[in-house]
Amino acid sequence: MAIKFERVSFQYTSMDNKGYLALADINLSINKTGEFITLIGETGSGKSTLAQHMNALLQPTEGRVHIFGITVDDKTKKQRKIKLNPIRKQVGLVFQFPEYQLFEETVEKDIMFGPKNFGVSTEEAAKRAEKMIEVVGLDASYLKRSPFNLSGGEKKRVSIAGILAMEPDILILDEPTSGLDPIGRNALLDVFYNIHTELDKTVIIITHDMNTVYEYAKRVMVMREGVLVYDGDPVALFSKSNIDRWNLDVPDILGLTRDLEAKFDYKFTEPPRSRKALFKALEGMLK
Amino acid sequence: MHPMIEMTGVSFYYTKEISALKNVDLTINKGEWITILGHNGSGKSTLSKLLVGLLKAKTGTIKVDGITLNEETVQDIRRKIGIVFQNPDNQFVGVTVRDDIAFGLENIQIEREEMLRRIDVFSKKVDMFDFLNKEPSQLSGGQKQRAAIAGILAMETDVIIFDEATAMLDPKGRRKILEYMRELNREGTTIITITHEMKEAVESDRIIVLKNGEILKEGSSQSILKDKETLEKSNLELLLPLEMLYHLESNKIENEKLKQYLWQSSLNA
Amino acid sequence: MKNIVIGRYIPGNSFLYSLDPRTKILALLILMIGVFVIDHIMHMVYAIAIIFLVLLLGKISIKRIYLGLRPLLFLLIFTFTFQIIFNRHGELLFEETLYYSPVSIALAAAIGIFWFFTKRFIKFRLLYFLMTLLAIGTVLSLTLFPGTFATGRFAVYEEGLFMALFIMLRLIIIVTLSTMLTMTTKPTDLNLGLEQILAPLKILRINAEEIAMIISISLRYIPTLLDEANKIMLAQASRGVDFEEGKMKEKVVQIVSLLVPMFIISFKRSDDLANAMEARSFAPGRPRTRLHVLTWKRLDSCVLALSFLLLVTAILSRVLL
Repeated sequence: MAIKFERVSFQYTSMDNKGYLALADINLSINKTGEFITLIGETGSGKSTLAQHMNALLQPTEGRVHIFGITVDDKTKKQRKIKLNPIRKQVGLVFQFPEYQLFEETVEKDIMFGPKNFGVSTEEAAKRAEKMIEVVGLDASYLKRSPFNLSGGEKKRVSIAGILAMEPDILILDEPTSGLDPIGRNALLDVFYNIHTELDKTVIIITHDMNTVYEYAKRVMVMREGVLVYDGDPVALFSKSNIDRWNLDVPDILGLTRDLEAKFDYKFTEPPRSRKALFKALEGMLK
Repeated sequence: MHPMIEMTGVSFYYTKEISALKNVDLTINKGEWITILGHNGSGKSTLSKLLVGLLKAKTGTIKVDGITLNEETVQDIRRKIGIVFQNPDNQFVGVTVRDDIAFGLENIQIEREEMLRRIDVFSKKVDMFDFLNKEPSQLSGGQKQRAAIAGILAMETDVIIFDEATAMLDPKGRRKILEYMRELNREGTTIITITHEMKEAVESDRIIVLKNGEILKEGSSQSILKDKETLEKSNLELLLPLEMLYHLESNKIENEKLKQYLWQSSLNA
Repeated sequence: MKNIVIGRYIPGNSFLYSLDPRTKILALLILMIGVFVIDHIMHMVYAIAIIFLVLLLGKISIKRIYLGLRPLLFLLIFTFTFQIIFNRHGELLFEETLYYSPVSIALAAAIGIFWFFTKRFIKFRLLYFLMTLLAIGTVLSLTLFPGTFATGRFAVYEEGLFMALFIMLRLIIIVTLSTMLTMTTKPTDLNLGLEQILAPLKILRINAEEIAMIISISLRYIPTLLDEANKIMLAQASRGVDFEEGKMKEKVVQIVSLLVPMFIISFKRSDDLANAMEARSFAPGRPRTRLHVLTWKRLDSCVLALSFLLLVTAILSRVLL
């Protein structure tokens, strides 16, 4: 159990002293390896707040979060006994907007920034930068360029490379595909899936896109007004009652599959989770 | 009867190396709903700025409602075209929603009485009447975009351009904006949607696909939506039912009923 | 952040809230001049009494004003002490000889250290501090301890005391008047009032409208910027930046990692915003109609007249008395 939430609540107080409960009594556990989780919910449901508790950027106002053996509660920061910084090396969180992160003169330096903060030598950090820039789908020529002259999609990839270079055990990505065009989106999701399968790392993706959930996730967590309302199988999530209850969007593939079963009497032995699988299955049935 | 917007031979580049648009010819008629589709970097974002003179075309001419765009006419043309931009925070000028809607009206010297009337009417149209006193820090992205739309509506332009206006919103926010586009077009406003989301293109009359600054193809939305080759060249995806349709056709599978259904379902996406 | 009273608008209901912002700005200026014209301590006491009256009539919580003055306490005490010690004019009111000996100095130091470590547990800090000073003074004035190697003299003169009070009261009045302005006037109204007051500066080629728009846009973005700064710090903390620790060298990197993104985001924002404004027919220099208008009421004329009256009274009392 790498990350465990025990009755975690988080009370958020804004500047004008108005507070609201961003997280309410959250209980969950995440394994160090082997998980591919999508975290979904509407804007304001608490998904980002939840993610920021996973690498101790935020500390709960009630309850406890256990991260790789370190326990974080509401008194941890004040007591100053436990250093929270090392946690961020093990649990890497990529924020939604790369603009919040990019600041160095070159892409290479920016990617090296994270690892160097955790004691990695300059040579080793440079090697990692070279490796990670290609992992995210850009070529080495980007390394010497300024991060500010890149397109939105390119900036996004650089910011992801910066966290990957820290070689975290768990990777959390906050809406990594927002703003990307469809092909860019799919390419990046494949990258994350490869990291998950090849390196057996746990990957958590915060997203709005139900298609991502359906096509890639092994486990889905649904946040609604600060409460974790569902934590389990992605296919089972989209039962009619859940869809009505939580006003969920139906993933395109699932919607089409269900319509075909209902209107055309096609029987899918196994619900297809990708377009390819869907076409193949249908082809088989029609021929 | 002249077209609402006419671009002839328009080119634009930021530097000699970075060309944004190359020799674009475009015609948009009054009351049409046009979608400009393209990958990131295809030049689609440069288009809206050129149309209102925020950028000056290097070659070619732009005519809006018969008036040729130049230094003297740019102010008149800005009265005819309103743009809702992508970033909800970077177009919100006023300290409150009310002040923001008033901003444009103050610029075009509308009298105070009329300002109050328009703020009332158009905030209601986008369901922002109850938020008139709210500050942007108290609003969600979707609400800020709705406030932006109200501000443009209040200026009573003939054309509204939605320049990737839903890119930073969640699906719920996106759907709401789409609803307004639909309604406005029904009422006769010329709508130009600039996007890379296929679901937003479905309801438009015509689609123009851009790639690397050039028009790859243009045609009725019906024809473009199933043109897999063209769409993929511009990093775009077919809508699922249409990709399935394409798949069936290329495998020479005959099933009229299924094909009809797939076609219908793409329109209801 | 939550306790800073100076500069914050606090909603309320009284004649001060109903006044036109122009009135309040002008009255503030006039009264400030008046306060600096006053040269006699008794007049200053009358002035503060008048302010007190206005606060009561204006339904402004005295406690809030006190809280707003608290950060200045140190400055007030400093000026007070400075005057007491160094001003040697007028009648001698009080004199005490101080005997410095190893024991007395050690004791005085011990009292000081005791105060330093126990002050956080005491509720009435100011009182405790004064009591500590008194204790130190008493210790030093005792002749009990052997080994006196030097003597000092603590003397309070009449003028010293008066000047100390005078300057302290003046400072309090100035801060209170400013706080009254910002507490009862919304920043946007203040901006509007300022714009109209500065309008005549057109002769000097200063465009009040432009300045007001700059201020207005800045006000609008303050919460956004604070929010973004917070998010940037979280994003960089995610990469191992520890904003709590670090030597000078590391602090510099921390600040750079915060400022560079803030600047870049702001530049992009300026570009986008300028485009959005121009697209909505904003043309600098061209006259604009206004949604918000200020209406001058009889109350405003009264208050302004009264302020003038007070100024004239101050001038006359200085000249004639």
